[in-house]
Amino acid sequence: MGSPCEVLLETDSESSAAAVAGSVSTEAWRIEDKFSRYLPDNIVHRINNSGGAPVEVDDETANLIDFAATLYEMSDGRFDITSGVLREAWNFDGSDNVPADSEVDRILERVGWSRVKWNRPELILAAGMQIDLGGIAKEYAVDKAASEAAAETDDACLVNFGGDLVATKAPTRSKGWQVGIDALDQAQGLPQKLIRLQNGGLATSGDARRFLLKDGIRYGHILDPTTGWPVQNAPRSITVAADTCTQAGMLATLAMLEGKGAETFLADQDCKYWCYR
Amino acid sequence: MKKLNTVASALLVVGLAGLGGCSSMGVEPWERDIMAKEEMQLTADPLEAAIDDHIYFSKEASSGGRGFGGGGCGCN
Amino acid sequence: MYETDKEIPMSRKNSKSVAATLTTATCALLGTTSTTPVNAQEEDEWELDTALLYYNEDGNRVQDISFKMLANRNFVDDRVLSLSLGVDSLTGATPIGAIPFAGPQTFTSPSGNQVRTTPPGEIPLDPSFLDTRVALTANWQQPLGRLSSFNAGLSASSEYDYLHLGANFKLSRDFNKRNTTVSMGLAFAADELDPVGGAPMPLTPMLDVDDLSNRMGNQNKDVMDVVLGVSQIINQNLIMQFNYSFSSSDGYLNDPYKIVSLVDPVTGDPVPRIPSPGVDGPSHEYRFESRPGERTKHSLFGQAKYYMNGKVLDASYRYMTDDWDIDSHTVDVRFRWPIGDRSYLEPHFRYYTQTHANFYRTSLDSSLPLPSYASADYRLGEFDAITLGLKYGWKTESGNEWSARLEAYSADGSVPANLLIGSNQGGLEMYPDLDAIIAQFSYSFGW
Repeated sequence: MGSPCEVLLETDSESSAAAVAGSVSTEAWRIEDKFSRYLPDNIVHRINNSGGAPVEVDDETANLIDFAATLYEMSDGRFDITSGVLREAWNFDGSDNVPADSEVDRILERVGWSRVKWNRPELILAAGMQIDLGGIAKEYAVDKAASEAAAETDDACLVNFGGDLVATKAPTRSKGWQVGIDALDQAQGLPQKLIRLQNGGLATSGDARRFLLKDGIRYGHILDPTTGWPVQNAPRSITVAADTCTQAGMLATLAMLEGKGAETFLADQDCKYWCYR
Repeated sequence: MKKLNTVASALLVVGLAGLGGCSSMGVEPWERDIMAKEEMQLTADPLEAAIDDHIYFSKEASSGGRGFGGGGCGCN
Repeated sequence: MYETDKEIPMSRKNSKSVAATLTTATCALLGTTSTTPVNAQEEDEWELDTALLYYNEDGNRVQDISFKMLANRNFVDDRVLSLSLGVDSLTGATPIGAIPFAGPQTFTSPSGNQVRTTPPGEIPLDPSFLDTRVALTANWQQPLGRLSSFNAGLSASSEYDYLHLGANFKLSRDFNKRNTTVSMGLAFAADELDPVGGAPMPLTPMLDVDDLSNRMGNQNKDVMDVVLGVSQIINQNLIMQFNYSFSSSDGYLNDPYKIVSLVDPVTGDPVPRIPSPGVDGPSHEYRFESRPGERTKHSLFGQAKYYMNGKVLDASYRYMTDDWDIDSHTVDVRFRWPIGDRSYLEPHFRYYTQTHANFYRTSLDSSLPLPSYASADYRLGEFDAITLGLKYGWKTESGNEWSARLEAYSADGSVPANLLIGSNQGGLEMYPDLDAIIAQFSYSFGW
């Protein structure tokens, strides 16, 4: 997942806490092992090294790919799981290493969900193209892990993987789960905003740590696959509250992709959001 | 004056004894769920406490004790 | 390169249905049929407590209706701003200190404009004021490092005859894994009195109508308070607090409207007086009260709050002693009883007892020289008081809280035999016992 993961459980029972922590971490590792693009022997690796040959995928993978396809439609092509190869040109390490147009254009040849043949359960990915489920898998893992926890216990529980989180139930002994949204100015160490979460998901999309800075222009790390460049005029940080972490995460990402229109988009969705520029 | 000296010394003894024993008493930071409850705050309802302080300040010769003692009115 | 004019077209056609499509897609992905709707709220910036109070004393005495509000603004770094506003509307009458008598008694009003007569046998009351009091406070709390904090505050109040200005400071520090907190506070008040008709010179007689020859100008009263306190968490369920307070008052400490009756040493009846010809005035001899120009108080306060599986017991005791020879004890007990998840019942019991000030006199012997200080103010007398009350509180779904309380306060005084003068005073109500109702309705909410 690339970030610290935790589960908070309101309980007096040490055995219950161990059981829940166990099932949450097992599920988290399972999803990480199965969908990480860094591991050499999982379904994603097989797809990315298929060299154009058809790959048959299992139900869970098919569900994720269907979901990604729906998001591609919903965002008019701006949410695209084949856009991962653009990282060959873009390395958001805070430096001023902005790539040349020609370099970006060359890589764009290998980007585009429309080039993928998806006929569940068969996926054909042209040689040189890659899929990256990183934009969906973390939020998906949060929701799956939370349902594992909910099966294990009736107590209020919050699953938090690096700031993408979901609470199954409101705690009984306090006024809600207190969640802080990181301040844009990290130096302070204090949250920008405090939210009381009774139940539901919260996810944040933002460029707090990953960006490039050149000639006074800040390039956030959310790339627009239709141009190959970071989304223009994207907010610095968007946090969304929704019924599940997946929905919250996708709404935050889709809003980021709207750039200047992020706030309008979120207002239209009738969800609670916090947007900082 | 003699009465006040006795009061002061008694207070000092109680205070020091109290503080001396304090270093071992208490709970770990993670055992403070009950202490954190609103109803367990030393002054759980500051508005009501202020109202009561003011009523009793107007009708009796004593005031305060818990904090600064009421006052500031022409009622006593 | 960025083309600064390039607009990313928004998918206007389906922007509103994105959320719905997403919900369906997510349900398919997660294999769920429905989910509980999300419930997330921004933490309120302001917490407001409001209260409406009704206070009424038996026997047409003081009645007070007031509105009070306390607003707290919490900042993320533990700084807190507190503001409060109180408006009191006082009406009614209060005992002026003269003793009751078998016959009628006539008094000049505080303004000196008119006279009022008290029927035979009744405790003389001053039915004067309609007064409105406005009080404001502001307080700032600032953390100093991880374990200490600093409070600074200002207070001000205004009535038609009284102005108060005050400042206070407090320093606190935590020790011992924050189980122990030690604090020290200092408060100053500079009050100014501008009584109706002018402050009377102490121990001078109550004069005829329009005779203000014994009145003085504005008076000042300064008060300094010091509080030293320590609070200690004893165990998971018990917390205790101990405070020592010192208070020093300086200036005009008299009640400008209170008098003492001059009585005949044999009968104990008020000494009659004849007003100047053609003028109204008091029917008997009365002297304006006189208190020392200084007062020093010491208080010791202890409190314990004990949690018993949902119920909370709050018990406190305060001992006060001062250089006017007043000693008092206060015991205050509250027991909070939760009812279900959202409401509670809280019975309240308070017992108060005080000894009388060394210059407290119910009446003065007319054949003897006047003492340096004398006051018949029942609040400086010897009495026991009991408060019995019940409070009911409930919390709404959105976390706001309502509460209502009803209390009865009853003060019962006694006059030591050595303060009685003459043969007739034994059968009279020399101390004006007090019975009052306190009713309060509160609402607390976030904003």
